[in-house]
Amino acid sequence: MNVTITVNGEVRSASVPPETTLLVLLREHFLLTGAKTGCDVGDCGACTVIVDGKAVNACLMLAGQADGRTVTTIEGLATREGLHPLQKVFEETGALQCGFCGPGVIMSSKALLDEIPNPTTAEIRNALAGNLCRCTGYQKMIEGVHEAAEMLQSTTTPATLATKTPATPALAALPQR
Amino acid sequence: MADDVMERDVSVLEKERVAPVETLRRSDEALRLPAVAPPTALPLEPPLVPQVGEQTRAVGLRAQRPDSRNHGLGLTRYIDDIALPGMLFAKIKRAGVASARIVRIDTSKAEAMPGVKAVLVGSEIPVNSFGPSLQDQPLLAAPIVRHAGDGVAAVAAVTEQIAEAAIDAIEVEYEPLPGVYDAIEALKPDSHKVHGGDTNVYASKIIKRGDVEKGFAQAYRIYEGRYYTPGIEHAPMEPFTSIADWDANGRLTVYASIGRITLARCDMSRTLGIPISRIRVIGTVVGGNFGGKNEIRHEPVLALLAKKAGRPVKGRFTRVEEFVASTIRHAFTMDYKTGVTKDGRLIARQVRMVLDGGAYCSFSETTLGKACILSTGPYEIPNSLAEGYVVYTNKTTAGSMRGFGAPQVCFAYESQMDEIARDLGIDPIEIRVRNMFREGSISSTGQVLHSVKVKESLENAVKKFGWEARS
Repeated sequence: MNVTITVNGEVRSASVPPETTLLVLLREHFLLTGAKTGCDVGDCGACTVIVDGKAVNACLMLAGQADGRTVTTIEGLATREGLHPLQKVFEETGALQCGFCGPGVIMSSKALLDEIPNPTTAEIRNALAGNLCRCTGYQKMIEGVHEAAEMLQSTTTPATLATKTPATPALAALPQR
Repeated sequence: MADDVMERDVSVLEKERVAPVETLRRSDEALRLPAVAPPTALPLEPPLVPQVGEQTRAVGLRAQRPDSRNHGLGLTRYIDDIALPGMLFAKIKRAGVASARIVRIDTSKAEAMPGVKAVLVGSEIPVNSFGPSLQDQPLLAAPIVRHAGDGVAAVAAVTEQIAEAAIDAIEVEYEPLPGVYDAIEALKPDSHKVHGGDTNVYASKIIKRGDVEKGFAQAYRIYEGRYYTPGIEHAPMEPFTSIADWDANGRLTVYASIGRITLARCDMSRTLGIPISRIRVIGTVVGGNFGGKNEIRHEPVLALLAKKAGRPVKGRFTRVEEFVASTIRHAFTMDYKTGVTKDGRLIARQVRMVLDGGAYCSFSETTLGKACILSTGPYEIPNSLAEGYVVYTNKTTAGSMRGFGAPQVCFAYESQMDEIARDLGIDPIEIRVRNMFREGSISSTGQVLHSVKVKESLENAVKKFGWEARS
């Protein structure tokens, strides 16, 4: 069957067997390997992507069900101007250790922040309930989401900063801290 | 004429010379790669990790991983993100019975399925056993199945679905055997012997200091208790995944998220019967290890399937296989007997523990050793005797996991310390401070300890978790 989805702003189609999941479509047909296969039964959340604004387990959604929809994966978050605040704070707070759950956690958090710009800790915990992590103990992720929410609400997010000043070339001097 | 030319001064063309390879190979700061390669497509701000040659202060800075930038961007290439052209997918059929003899395996239906490129059973493996200390674990059971997660046959097919259907089409006939499912039961003389022989005990360790009997005779009170900790699965987010690929010269390349590459090469060399120099293992970024990815699992099976099919083969454990066919933390049954003086000083401790090793040895010997060494706790006890045994049972194999036995014994001795403190009416912190290692203390193994910071650590912790304010 033919499936056409808008993934990270780009319209892409593929001809796939009907049992193909959205996860396999993204990973094997579109080579977007950011979403991970952790359990393949919807328990771990490593495959989380955003479909029409909602965080979903890509392993539980058939590619056919995603036909005509808009999908955002981890690869679609950073822009030429800079990292998404979530990616930035997760890096800074050490919320990513082995990193395997990271893309899923970041996508779940993004779906939350898109809906609730200033979530409470309980709301963050609830949003991340479907994302398992074996390294971090979740605390740094929750702190990171709070921090990212603040960054997104303040006027000087890294993205807006970067538009004002030209992007520094990679490997330039470290920012002063 | 020629003489004239020879006598003239010869001028040499001025030319810039390229440094010879030897010069380039010298450690040169400018030639080294930065700790994090700059992302190629996205002109992002530089990574927040110290760069080569840069002086940084460490204390007071947030610790950052050099690889977390790529983790957050979804650019990290884990093993499952790698695909080779023409790659097949492998699935292993699990026994599903804990103790049995394989009477017959019929793979003909699977072999006839379109898309199936190779089928493998245990009898085809050159040396069908592996293990880091005892080589007692078969790659595919033949003919004895010793736990439900034992593989019995493997298939490589063009898609994962076809491979899955093919292993379902393999018919295996089992003759049930008796089994043993409890470590204490396994100690009994009349229990089922998992690996034959007279006993299920395959490793033991005894550590003795002083004379416990004399210590118990002098004790004001003696406390006895049995403590039990269960088996635990590491459950890393990334399941075991590997890719095996042969080249035309008969050299094998294995991509695997494995922690011990040289051990993996040794085990593969042994099982496949080829020299270690022909095996290359590429360790990929590990998506969680916790001790569970320290040895090979299915790599030689994938290699043999790849050889049969003439194509690279990828195998990925399902989450269920991750629980039944990998290793787990040892379940411990621990008997603690401790003699104390009136003021709460430990003067004798006897520990007997039985480790449930599951069906195969794996890292049991290492775990047993460390558990016995640490079983008396961070306390100075003049008389101690620790005895440990590992037994085979028809259960999931126990192997290495963070701490190698240390957390299990810690649960036991600290539980008993609380019981002693409660009974003697001494504050639980106070009784620990009275007994703990100090500078120059001698441990149960006879080691003289230096730079001992147990007391400071405990005092710090007490301050931080508000022990004084407890109700």
